[in-house]
Amino acid sequence: MSITALLLLILGLGAVAWFAGRTRAAAFAGSGRERAHSLPNYHGWYAALWAVAPALLFLAVWQATSPALVTNAVLADPRAAALPADPTLRGPILAEARDLAAGRVQAAFNPQAEALAPAYADASSRYGLLGLVAAALLAFAGGAFAFLRLRPDFRARTRVERIVMGMLLLASLIAVLTTFGIVASLVVEAFRFFAQVSPAEFLFGTHWSPQTALRADQAGSSGAFGAVPLFWGTIFIGVIIAMTVAIPLGLMSAIYLTQYARASTRRWMKPLLEILAGIPTVVYGYFAALTLAPLVRDLGLTLGIGGASSESALAAGLVMGVMIIPFVSSMADDSLAAVPQAMRDGSLAMGATTSETIRRVLVPAALPGVVGGALLAVSRAIGETMIVVMAAGLAANLSANPFASVTTVTTQIVQLLTGDQEFDSPKTLAAFALGLVLFLVTLLLNVIALRVVKRFREAYE
Amino acid sequence: MSELNASLVPQLPIVGVDAHEPVARKPTDWRTGSMQGRIRRRYAAERRFRLIGAGAVVLAAAFLAFLLVTMFANGLRGFTRTEVALDIDFPRSTLIVDQTAVQRFGEQGLAGADLQGVVAAAANARLGPGGAALLSDGAWVEVRRAILEDPAILSGVHRFELPAAAAIDVAAKGDGAADAEVQVARLRERGLLSTGFNGQFLTGADATDPTAVGIWGAFKGSLLTMLVTLALAFPIGVLSAVYLEEYAPRNRWTDIIEVSINNLAAVPSIIFGLLGLAIFLNVMNLPRSAPIVGGLTLALMTMPVIVIAGRNAIKAVPPSIRDAALGVGASPVQVVFHHVLPLALPGILTGTIIGMARALGETAPLLMIGMRAFISSPPEGLTQPATVLPVQIFLWSDEVSRGFVEKTSAAIIVLLVFLLAMNGIAIYLRNRFEKRW
Repeated sequence: MSITALLLLILGLGAVAWFAGRTRAAAFAGSGRERAHSLPNYHGWYAALWAVAPALLFLAVWQATSPALVTNAVLADPRAAALPADPTLRGPILAEARDLAAGRVQAAFNPQAEALAPAYADASSRYGLLGLVAAALLAFAGGAFAFLRLRPDFRARTRVERIVMGMLLLASLIAVLTTFGIVASLVVEAFRFFAQVSPAEFLFGTHWSPQTALRADQAGSSGAFGAVPLFWGTIFIGVIIAMTVAIPLGLMSAIYLTQYARASTRRWMKPLLEILAGIPTVVYGYFAALTLAPLVRDLGLTLGIGGASSESALAAGLVMGVMIIPFVSSMADDSLAAVPQAMRDGSLAMGATTSETIRRVLVPAALPGVVGGALLAVSRAIGETMIVVMAAGLAANLSANPFASVTTVTTQIVQLLTGDQEFDSPKTLAAFALGLVLFLVTLLLNVIALRVVKRFREAYE
Repeated sequence: MSELNASLVPQLPIVGVDAHEPVARKPTDWRTGSMQGRIRRRYAAERRFRLIGAGAVVLAAAFLAFLLVTMFANGLRGFTRTEVALDIDFPRSTLIVDQTAVQRFGEQGLAGADLQGVVAAAANARLGPGGAALLSDGAWVEVRRAILEDPAILSGVHRFELPAAAAIDVAAKGDGAADAEVQVARLRERGLLSTGFNGQFLTGADATDPTAVGIWGAFKGSLLTMLVTLALAFPIGVLSAVYLEEYAPRNRWTDIIEVSINNLAAVPSIIFGLLGLAIFLNVMNLPRSAPIVGGLTLALMTMPVIVIAGRNAIKAVPPSIRDAALGVGASPVQVVFHHVLPLALPGILTGTIIGMARALGETAPLLMIGMRAFISSPPEGLTQPATVLPVQIFLWSDEVSRGFVEKTSAAIIVLLVFLLAMNGIAIYLRNRFEKRW
């Protein structure tokens, strides 16, 4: 019996309970003797919740425990006597037998697994049946219990609403749980990494070559985890090049659209620029790698700059800057709009031209907001992955040449974690250490930026 | 009070009557050359500034146009394919099945037939030596399909329009290698080349041969992934938004929830991929590359977006609605679920669609959980290995073969069209249903 069918069965029982509860409540509400405390619907929901919730809880627990129970039953079977006692040898055979019994594979590689498959099929069907009966009984018992409690003075609505409130609280706790999960998984794996590589070497070392050897005697096998070239590459692309593009263009287009452009121009120009933010990053990456990178390389060669590569920092940074424009622009837009009209009017009344007003009054007054927006944009840019993966290259160079190839933190995370991996090698764990650094830096930038923006808003309210 | 006010009034310096007369300030003469020059300079600066602003907007828009035009110029060719006309004389070929067998047994009647060999032999005979290399590797599959549709063609000579090999396809579209160009010119002279709609591209899955690839596999993967994302992120997001906006007491716990939602909205997407890898794959042992894991990961990423949009929508419902409902005896839960939520729904849906559009275009976290495998058939369920559209674009962009360039751009067009449609629906919903109280 598949899990989907079981779920449908439980939901079906819930529906039955709902109708039964509702009908019963409608019967005693309609008799006109006594006003029921709750509407018939609430009685129905009460019964349905009692039918569904305990059964679903049981199912979740059962789903987690029953594979172990099945394995134990198989091991207790006489047909499993011939298995090796060593769990590392036994595991693959059991897994193969399990796949064979479930029909996921057609033929077994190991004859022992072949022999064990019927035992597996027996045990899993036995436990499947057990789970089905228990879940159905639980659903029925819950529904019956709730049904028997329904009376005109029974406070079904209060009960149902209490459960609804519990669900609301539970749903909002998932965000906390996610944050906790992120921090926990990053910290745990990063600590395992730092047990093998010292944090000082990771944070201050300048040599990055994460390849660990397959054999101990292989040349250059040690693997070096100095992440400074990665940090430099991230800052070079995401902060220096991208922000050189995004901040002037974003700020100037915000100024033009809010201060100069006619309302009709603004109405279609603003959404048009926002399309830039909606284009998937993989498209930008493809564009940077296919169209822009050859142009940039040719430009580098024409200028006679050494080290011009088809995976240049410039191509990735330029495209990333363009991607960030709408972000900077909308932040600048908000901050300019928050400057009180009186300040602008005062400046204009003194005879300043519009551009003088903007440069001498509006922008200085809106500066905290603009800076906050720029910080948020930086945190966006350094966390951006696909553009740099596709256009920035893998060579960990400490180079300030925009035509050369540099690599970034996110590129290396992708590089380290894709392909074949054994989970305990420092190579894979290094990705989590990089992820931890990335997470902390973006968090810090966001906190600072939000604080700056908030203080700025308060100044004018 | 009056003293205080008096102290606030700035004291004018008392000018003695006996002080010498203040120098009469000469009014500015605006007509002098230097003044005119100054005004000109200031106006020129004004014009320059304005021009720079307009330039920034135009530059950004031009980049967008350049990007879209490049993609469309490259990609539209991906929807077409070059076809080579080939006559196959079935009675004289080495094919041993006959019409009645196929009519009676369908696919099984063709089971032992070496159609690949027959097509290759026919190509070598009709198109000259090496003719088989002009056709796509999957050309015989089309012949097979045609025979199954109409077994009667087995009784005579039939002309097929078969897909050309990748090199020929690229050359016919004007971007190929020299020797392929020669072949194309020769075929064109004989009138054997034509251009047709590439149906395979919309119905097939990934393949190693660029003429045989399709996006349906990746698209179906995207659909399944989005289904999981929506099923999780929407209810959780809406319920959290309702809780935080309507019921949450102002205390430290609520602050923690709010701070973590706001932070999650700003966490780089690749971090969610690391979370998915560490928790869903390594701790919970869910299947790798499966839509369910991708959907879970993207749901965690989309949920904060929905919560923030939902809170704004709920906040926009005026308090008078709540007061009126409470006034006629509704319970707090009834107020929200019967009145506030329906009124806020358009706003919530708009936010949800925008969040889903972002999730649809997301690549990095899915690479982390292994959705970058080569999948040659569309996924059948939530736990089967799958890939998604953006990842498929990434994979094709890495291919060396030139034939993949137009396929990548074509896939990008499909993705962009869907994103545009989703955003369009969001804007329509906002304009159509948004109420201003």
